[in-house]
Amino acid sequence: MKINKNLQPISISIIVFVGILFITTINACAPTKAIAAKSGVQLWSENCQRCHNTPSPSTFSPEIWETVGMHMQTRALITENERDKIVDFLKSAR
Amino acid sequence: MKFKIQNSSYGFLLLFLLGTIIQLRAQDQKSTVDSSLLERINYLEQQMNYHKSGDDHFMVVGLANFGFSSNKTTNTLNGISTTSKKSNLGDIDQFEFSPMFLWRHEKKYLMEFEPTFSQNGLGVSWADISYFAAPNVIIRAGYLVLPFGTYSKKQAAGWINKFATDPIGIADMPTSDYGVEVEGGLPLGDMKMNYDLALSNGLQLGNDGTVTSGYLVDNNTNKTITGRLGLLPFSNSSLEIGVSGMFGKVGTEGTSFHNVNGNMYAFDFNYVKTYVPFLVNFKSQYNIVDISNADYTTADEWATNYTFKNHSTSSFTQCSIRPTGIQALHDFELAARYSTYNTPSNSTWGSDQSAFAIGLNYWLSWRSVIKFTYEKYNGNSTGSEVLNAFTGITKSNTLYLQFSIQL
Repeated sequence: MKINKNLQPISISIIVFVGILFITTINACAPTKAIAAKSGVQLWSENCQRCHNTPSPSTFSPEIWETVGMHMQTRALITENERDKIVDFLKSAR
Repeated sequence: MKFKIQNSSYGFLLLFLLGTIIQLRAQDQKSTVDSSLLERINYLEQQMNYHKSGDDHFMVVGLANFGFSSNKTTNTLNGISTTSKKSNLGDIDQFEFSPMFLWRHEKKYLMEFEPTFSQNGLGVSWADISYFAAPNVIIRAGYLVLPFGTYSKKQAAGWINKFATDPIGIADMPTSDYGVEVEGGLPLGDMKMNYDLALSNGLQLGNDGTVTSGYLVDNNTNKTITGRLGLLPFSNSSLEIGVSGMFGKVGTEGTSFHNVNGNMYAFDFNYVKTYVPFLVNFKSQYNIVDISNADYTTADEWATNYTFKNHSTSSFTQCSIRPTGIQALHDFELAARYSTYNTPSNSTWGSDQSAFAIGLNYWLSWRSVIKFTYEKYNGNSTGSEVLNAFTGITKSNTLYLQFSIQL
């Protein structure tokens, strides 16, 4: 796709603007107090079963749960805060 | 008097010496206890350090499926019916061994690689690296699962799928491709949303109008954009609805197909909620595939030119119920699924297909299951009669017994 040279600064500006808007939007998204106060065990029971059975905390070691947590964040697209709470619960409840 | 003073001094001296001896013995005993405790603590610290996690981590998980299928198929063409019967151990729907390698590089990078061995041979499901750039922003590159619908990315694994088979059509959609991706989940007050956007080499159009993906070398200079937006409107995350799109050129540069584009859409629905004593699971997806018009030529000696409206749809709707609150039955699960797959009429691969499956699953653990699935299939060919592509009506009944496990 060829872009007219006169339009290049405009295109770059639009991309930068959309990028800033995207990052601002992401940072502006916030949960309510009730949602933010959810515990790891509650998030574990609500989110894991959306795709599969809730895993037993004793299945893996704490180190493995860290890695599995990152993998599941990429699959289920849970928030980072949810991932951390769920992983902390799985590690502590073994 | 002098004698008395001398006696008192000796008495004080004796008491002082006695006190000093007792104190020294106590200190000696204390230091013995202290050094013993210190040695023990040092040993435990060493043990702790020995077992302490490193910054990086490598692990292997994966999945395996194995089973048996018994099938009866009847095809009717021009009033003549032919019936065939098959039974297979480990056939294409029944056997898969897929180890998944995960490398975690501190807490910012994750590499994922899943090779798959099945009746199709050895393949790769995905091989990519993810960078956790910011909270709720993950950037990925490599051979990745495209964010088109949710079945391929979230529900296709044997130990997750409630049935021994994939829904027709949905499973035939291109799934993985070479590209880059950005994704994440976001809180939205009481709700949540997630986004997933990929830029990849894209699908490639075949000589009969079908499309395939997963090519390292692109067939044109255009890249394909695939994206999905998901919304979880309830605070307990029980419902997720999503919409996906895939847009890009599919024709090969320098051929008569060079201007052919593909526009595809998918809508998905996922509801999982406990209604004591039952866990109810409802899933659905609807795909639309539109490829712009093109002139095709048969590969036979007559090289006949033909065209058709290249429009396909596929869908599935499934429901499963598990009595998790009933002790005697909580390992059982009942499931039913209806799926459709309609491919372009007057092409060489046109058909209107539907399948209905019912299943009874027994969960051995949270990640291993024995599945009984019975599937009834109907396929009415809409292939071009002029091109001898009409294959009549096909009906089949298949019983599956499958064991699936996540390793």
